[in-house]
Amino acid sequence: MILEVKKLETGYGKLQVLRGIDLSVGKESVGLFGPNGAGKTTIINAIMGIVKPWAGTVEFEGKSIGGNPTHMVARAGIALVPQERELFPGMSVADNLELGAAYVPRGKPIMAQQLEVVLTLFPILKERYTQLVGTMSGGQQRMVAIGRALMANPALLILDEPSLGLQPSIVAEVFDRLAILKKDIAILVTEQNVRESLKAIDRGYVIENGVVLLEDTAKGLANNPHVISAYLGI
Amino acid sequence: MAKKRNATILVAVITVAAVVILFWRPTVLIYGLQAAGLYASIAIPMGLILGIVHIVNLAHGEFMMLAAYATFMVCQAFGLDPFVAMVPVALVTAAFGFMIYKLTIRQALKSPELNQLILTFGISIAITQLINLSFTSQTRKMSFDYVSASVDIGELSFGIYNFVFVVIAILMVIGLRLYLTKTISGKAALAVGQNPKGASIVGIDVDKTYGFVFALASGMIGMMGALFITRSSIFPGVGGPFTMKSFCLIAMAGVGNIPGILGASVLLGISENFLKAFRGTRGWADIVFFVLIITVILGRSIKGKKA
Repeated sequence: MILEVKKLETGYGKLQVLRGIDLSVGKESVGLFGPNGAGKTTIINAIMGIVKPWAGTVEFEGKSIGGNPTHMVARAGIALVPQERELFPGMSVADNLELGAAYVPRGKPIMAQQLEVVLTLFPILKERYTQLVGTMSGGQQRMVAIGRALMANPALLILDEPSLGLQPSIVAEVFDRLAILKKDIAILVTEQNVRESLKAIDRGYVIENGVVLLEDTAKGLANNPHVISAYLGI
Repeated sequence: MAKKRNATILVAVITVAAVVILFWRPTVLIYGLQAAGLYASIAIPMGLILGIVHIVNLAHGEFMMLAAYATFMVCQAFGLDPFVAMVPVALVTAAFGFMIYKLTIRQALKSPELNQLILTFGISIAITQLINLSFTSQTRKMSFDYVSASVDIGELSFGIYNFVFVVIAILMVIGLRLYLTKTISGKAALAVGQNPKGASIVGIDVDKTYGFVFALASGMIGMMGALFITRSSIFPGVGGPFTMKSFCLIAMAGVGNIPGILGASVLLGISENFLKAFRGTRGWADIVFFVLIITVILGRSIKGKKA
C-alpha cells in the first residue's frame, strides 16, 4: 500500500469532524465522495499535516507520517492540489512550477524531465510560461496547480475538488488528463462531480458524517442504489 | 495601461520638479537625495520583513540603535572604524534578530495583528530601557575625518560623505531583487510571502524561511546601525523616529514593493530639505512627512473606491 489510513479521528477546535476513517490507496486512483461537510477535505488536511490527527495512524510507503509538519509530508512524496489552488499569484508560471520540485528530493534531480511532462500534458502552460499566475483564469490556474504538484514527481497525488468552479468543458479536460496520469501515479481525489470522476477512478469511498459509509469499485459505486439516488440524481 | 500612464506622468512631474530645484537651490536636491538614501536603507529591511513575514516590526529603529551602541563599544575598545566594525555588528544583530523571532514573534504569528503590534512595540520599549539603564540617556558621539569630506563645484560647496547611504540603498534594492528573483531560496522566500500555505505544500519550511528573513533583515539594519554612528550622535531614543519614518515609507510604497521605497524616500528627502531651505518654514520639515503620507493614503483609498 502507498497510503494507509487507520481509525483516523480529528477536527477543528472542539468540533470533531472525522470519527474513525479507514482507507487505503495502492497503485491506483481512488475517489472520495460525500456531501459538503462530510469530512473529505479534513481527511486530506490530516494526511498533509495541515490539521493534526487526534487519534489513529497515517502511513505513507510503510512509514508513519501522522502529525508530521506539512513541508515534511510534501518532501516525502505526497503532492497536493488544494481546492483553493494555493499558488503564488505574483510569480510566473515558470517559477510556480520550479518551486513545485525545488524542495522535494524525488523531484529535484529530474526537474527538467518533469517540466517536459507537465508542458506536454498542459500545452497552454508553455504558451503562458512567463505570465504571472495571478492574472490567469481559474481553469488555467487549476492546470498550474496540477502541474506544480506533478513537478515533485510524487508517489501519491492528492486532488481536492479539481473541478470546483470550472466550466464543464474544462472539467472534462481535467479528468482526461487525470486518466492519463493514473497509469503512473497513485491518485486520491475528492469530487462533488461524481459522474465525471467515476470514469477516471478505480475505486471509491463514500464519506458521510465523518465515517466511511461505502467502499467499492467504480463500477460497484455506479450501480449502488444509495450512490445513484444521493449523488447521481437519477 | 492607465496605471502605466499615471506612473509615467508621476515620473515626469518629479523629474521636472527635480530639474527646477537643481537650478534654483542645488543643495536642496543634494541633501535631499542624501537624506533619501539614509531613509531608504533603514526602511528597506523593515519592508522586507513586512513583505514576507507580514509582521510590522515596531522595534526596527531600536534594533538599529542597539547595533549603533554595539559599534560604539567595539570601536572604542579596539579602535576600529565603523566600516570595519559593521561586519561583526551585522552578524551579531542578525543572530539577535533570529533569537527575537524564535522566542517571541514566532509565537505571535497566528494571533491577531493588534497583538503582534503590541508585541513588537513592547520589545522596542524593553530595548530602549535596557540601553537607558546600562548606558544612561547621555548622548555619545564619535568623529571621523572622512565624514566632513566635501566637494566644490563653482560657488557651490557641499558634503559628499552621506552619498554613502545612497549607494547602500541602491545596492540593497539590487541585491534583494537578485536574491528574490534569481535564487531558489529567494524565490521560496517570495513564495512564502505570497502564500505560506501554498509554500508548505510544495515542501518549503515556512518557519525556517521566516526565521532566515528576519535574521537577514536584522543583519541589514545592524549594518545601518554601525554606519549611523558616523553621521549622528546616539542616545537610547534615537531609533524611534526611524521606525515611524520607515513604516510610513513602506506604507507609501505599498507592502512588498521594495524598489518603491526608494521613490518614496526621494520624495520625502527632497520635500523635507526644500522646507529646511527657508528660514520661515525650517521647523515645518518634520510635518512634510505626515502630510505626504496622509495624501498618499487618502489618494489610494479614493482611487480604490472608484475602482
